[in-house]
Amino acid sequence: MRKTLAALALAAGPALAHPHVFIDAAIEVVFNAEGQAEGVRVRWTYDELISLTFVTERGLDPDFDGVLTPAEIDSLSGFDMAWQPGFPGDTYSLLGDTALVLSPPEDWSAGYAGGMVSSTHFRRFAAPVDLGTAALVVQAYDPGYYTSYSVVDAKIVGRQGCTVELFEPDRAAADQILQDALAEYSGTDGAETDFPAVGSAYAEEARVTCGAG
Amino acid sequence: MRRGVTILGLGLAAGLGVLWLSGGFAALQGQILDGQRQVQTALAGGVRAIKGGQPGAVWGLWGVCFAYGVLHAVGPGHGKLVIGGYGMGRRVPMARLAGLALASSLAQALVAVALVYGVVALLGLGRAEAEGLAEGVMAPAGLMMMAGVGLWLVWRGWQGLRAAWRAQGHDHPADHAHSHGAVCYSCGHAHGPSLEAVEQVTGWRDAVALVAGIALRPCSGALFLLVLTWQLGIAAAGIAGVFAMGLGTAVVTVAVAGLAVWAREGALASLPGQAAARVLPWFEVLAGAVVLVAALSLLGRAL
Repeated sequence: MRKTLAALALAAGPALAHPHVFIDAAIEVVFNAEGQAEGVRVRWTYDELISLTFVTERGLDPDFDGVLTPAEIDSLSGFDMAWQPGFPGDTYSLLGDTALVLSPPEDWSAGYAGGMVSSTHFRRFAAPVDLGTAALVVQAYDPGYYTSYSVVDAKIVGRQGCTVELFEPDRAAADQILQDALAEYSGTDGAETDFPAVGSAYAEEARVTCGAG
Repeated sequence: MRRGVTILGLGLAAGLGVLWLSGGFAALQGQILDGQRQVQTALAGGVRAIKGGQPGAVWGLWGVCFAYGVLHAVGPGHGKLVIGGYGMGRRVPMARLAGLALASSLAQALVAVALVYGVVALLGLGRAEAEGLAEGVMAPAGLMMMAGVGLWLVWRGWQGLRAAWRAQGHDHPADHAHSHGAVCYSCGHAHGPSLEAVEQVTGWRDAVALVAGIALRPCSGALFLLVLTWQLGIAAAGIAGVFAMGLGTAVVTVAVAGLAVWAREGALASLPGQAAARVLPWFEVLAGAVVLVAALSLLGRAL
């Protein structure tokens, strides 16, 4: 019974949320001279409404012409980088099936164009990553689904012979993963704290693969 | 004929439920998300148009707000669950439940206005504080209220079941109630609680808990719009816009209220005679459990 309730609770969580902020994410996977992946540069472009809110509450662009002075852009820089401790930053990376640890954000900037605020930041891998034959996956999602991320662009910087592909979540497949996880979960014992991490199945992602060498 | 139509409601609700569980709404979900995104952009455009002095811009904004309310309500949400759960669980008349749905949607708008103008305008705090208060204090309070509604339904259903078992005077297996109707025609009045007794509506306390459970969780989109329009000096347009959002939300929650009552009556109509009275407490326990579990799950995430 307790298991069933836990499984129900798990299912109810994502099903009861809907997003209020929309972000277009662009991802660059940055390689070093040795051909190892060093980190990920992330660009977030905020939707028009939240952008208007950000800009208005700072008293910027009072004439609505969509142009900020360099000084105004400077004052915007870092506005979304004051992360609370433990905030994973809505960017997740995997090598094959193994999660990679990303550093806190560094080297950030902000911009404003067409009524939309954007920002960039860099997240470094704990150690440079040799891809080998595995795929390096970068996902953008908010587990709480307050923000809805779309991965609109992905690039490779600093290495030839790699390809990057964008994947949209297959919602039907993601639902299936959730159901399978729940079925498996209710069949196991003493795993009350060990919820399956299914949120990422709903994420948009970029997948990088490199040829040998 | 009438009974057939009533039972159809049960079939429709069951069908929608199965479709939802089997991922049949996946494609629709994507479209709703796209729609939400477009309306969000249109909302910013509407605010700009008012500031730009375009004629009719205020009505444009209110129209977009209404659409925002509808689109955010057709996505998953706690309001529909509370209204739907209560409608399935208690034998509340359709008009009353629809009224509660409308009232809770408008109350949600009112809460957003009170929060923003209390925190931001009077106390001089920022949007972040208003959002923090909404997410950190009011949402959990609303969820506790929602959990209370669920618990209340479970408890009342349980009382109903116990009363039925006592009246029967012998041990009655729990899963037996639905198959027992025909046998019990001869057993007389004292056998179980009468429909009237079960139907007894508990009045204003239920209504307050229901409305508060939904309304105490203001929508972030409404907060954005209120803060934005206040800062831009078009506060009245924003406040009216948030109530337009509430009306949009109400379109969906009232529909859910109707469907819940229809489905519940359909289930009851498909049962012979007194069986309905004995099944109703089970509806209540189940619907309450669903509402309770959902509320606790959301609370677990919120805290």
